[in-house]
Amino acid sequence: MKTLTNNLRLFWQGALLSYVALFHWMRPIQYAASKILMPLAQMFFFVYLGTFATSADNRSYYIVGNALQIAAVSGIYGMTMSIGGDRDNGTLGYIFGTPANRLVVFMGRAFMNIMDGAFGVVIAFFWGVILMGLDLSNTDVGALALVIVITTISTCGLGLLMGCLALITVNVMFVNNFVYFLLLIFSGANVPLANLPVWIRSVSYMLPLTRGIMAARSLVGGASLSEVAPLLWGELAVGVVYFVLGYTLFKVFEVVAKRRGTLEVF
Amino acid sequence: MNLTLLSKYWRTVLIVAEMNIRQQMMDGFIIFTVFLQPILIALLGLWMLKDKGADAAMFVVVGSGLTGLWSSLLFISGGSINAERWSGTLESLVAIPIPFEVIVYGKNLGNVIQSLVSMVAGYFIASWLFGYNLVIQQPLLFIVSIIFTVIAFISFGLIIAPIFVMNPGVRAWQNAMEFPVYILCGFLFPVLLLPAWTNPISWLLPPYWAAVALHGTSTGGAPLTETLFAWGMMFVFSLVDLLIASRLFKIMLYKARVDATLGME
Repeated sequence: MKTLTNNLRLFWQGALLSYVALFHWMRPIQYAASKILMPLAQMFFFVYLGTFATSADNRSYYIVGNALQIAAVSGIYGMTMSIGGDRDNGTLGYIFGTPANRLVVFMGRAFMNIMDGAFGVVIAFFWGVILMGLDLSNTDVGALALVIVITTISTCGLGLLMGCLALITVNVMFVNNFVYFLLLIFSGANVPLANLPVWIRSVSYMLPLTRGIMAARSLVGGASLSEVAPLLWGELAVGVVYFVLGYTLFKVFEVVAKRRGTLEVF
Repeated sequence: MNLTLLSKYWRTVLIVAEMNIRQQMMDGFIIFTVFLQPILIALLGLWMLKDKGADAAMFVVVGSGLTGLWSSLLFISGGSINAERWSGTLESLVAIPIPFEVIVYGKNLGNVIQSLVSMVAGYFIASWLFGYNLVIQQPLLFIVSIIFTVIAFISFGLIIAPIFVMNPGVRAWQNAMEFPVYILCGFLFPVLLLPAWTNPISWLLPPYWAAVALHGTSTGGAPLTETLFAWGMMFVFSLVDLLIASRLFKIMLYKARVDATLGME
């Protein structure tokens, strides 16, 4: 019981502190610029490009795809900065030095980014409805909320893996930006998967977001939760695989870094 | 900053541009922003506009190159003074007899030239990967448009860099300023799709006129008068930007010397 309480406290403190550490340097206006306006502008850009490419009738297709894609802002950048920031700030050694449960530390890092990412997607949908005329009258909003949360979780799973890579590379932003833009192409947010080459489609299904976007589009089109459930389970499974991979990699890096004495060597 | 300074120090401008390109080839963030991001945007645009034919492909190639130019201007040129500050070389650069804005002009020239490479890469991707037979319809006018574009972007960058240095709060908006300019300047789709009230904002942005000239001459879809007008606007904006930049650099350096904050954030 005591271990459970300790782990819960560790989880909560870790979640809270990692989030505070990530955003402590930001003022509200800066937060708005990077977490609200930037994703909104990106969504506008791809919605206009999509309607130019096809027709205005397909607007909701692009709004939904790009709104869900916003999850990757927190999922990829936020997660990587939460994990990789420990090395940049010289706190990685302390984490590896504590007896704390690594999994709990790891999940704590993810928690606030999941919340923040889901909040970003909700804002994107809000803008989609208010500014771009997205029609949610046939949508099961509760099911859509579930899609948003699950998609954000799976994207954060990939972010955790990227965060671990940030522990061994100096070009963190290069890797992040590259993965973020690949998701824009591969997730089907902007290009229907059927229009992509077969090998890209195969990769798409191994990535987070792909099934989440498909599920959200179906829900907005009037589908029920039970109809999109297989997609949601698939999305969750993808996220779990990335979480496990990320966690395993974290453990491996810890062992290797301790053995070689390369904990904070860039 | 004025044209006399440029003619007097053109060697310095070229050397700084060369050094800047060499140095930045080692930076992953810059390589992504300048080369990879425009290429990925080109790929995305080419897939999205696949049914629209070769003219749309040319539009995407030029437009994605312009996104690279703007992102490079915003993130790299915008931070060019701060980059020297972080390297500890700012004080030395300010102290040398060559005016500081000449150095920044050279750095911006290097950034813009680097970014143009992504346009070439986009051209080859569209040709090889998507099988388009892309022909620049008005090659001579296109080359002149490129020259005007380079000058307009560099001059615009000269305003952005000191503003970011003097107002760290504005720099926080960098991330949010990337895509709005892609939209307002019609890089990858016509601004006619946007609400009419946004058009005056587009007209005030030099990259918009660059897009008009480059899209018009590459696809052959614009009359000569429109291209000439876009060149004129870029020329006027460049002169105005240089004048404003001259003033901003004076204020920035004076303020830094008075406050003794040159090397400080």
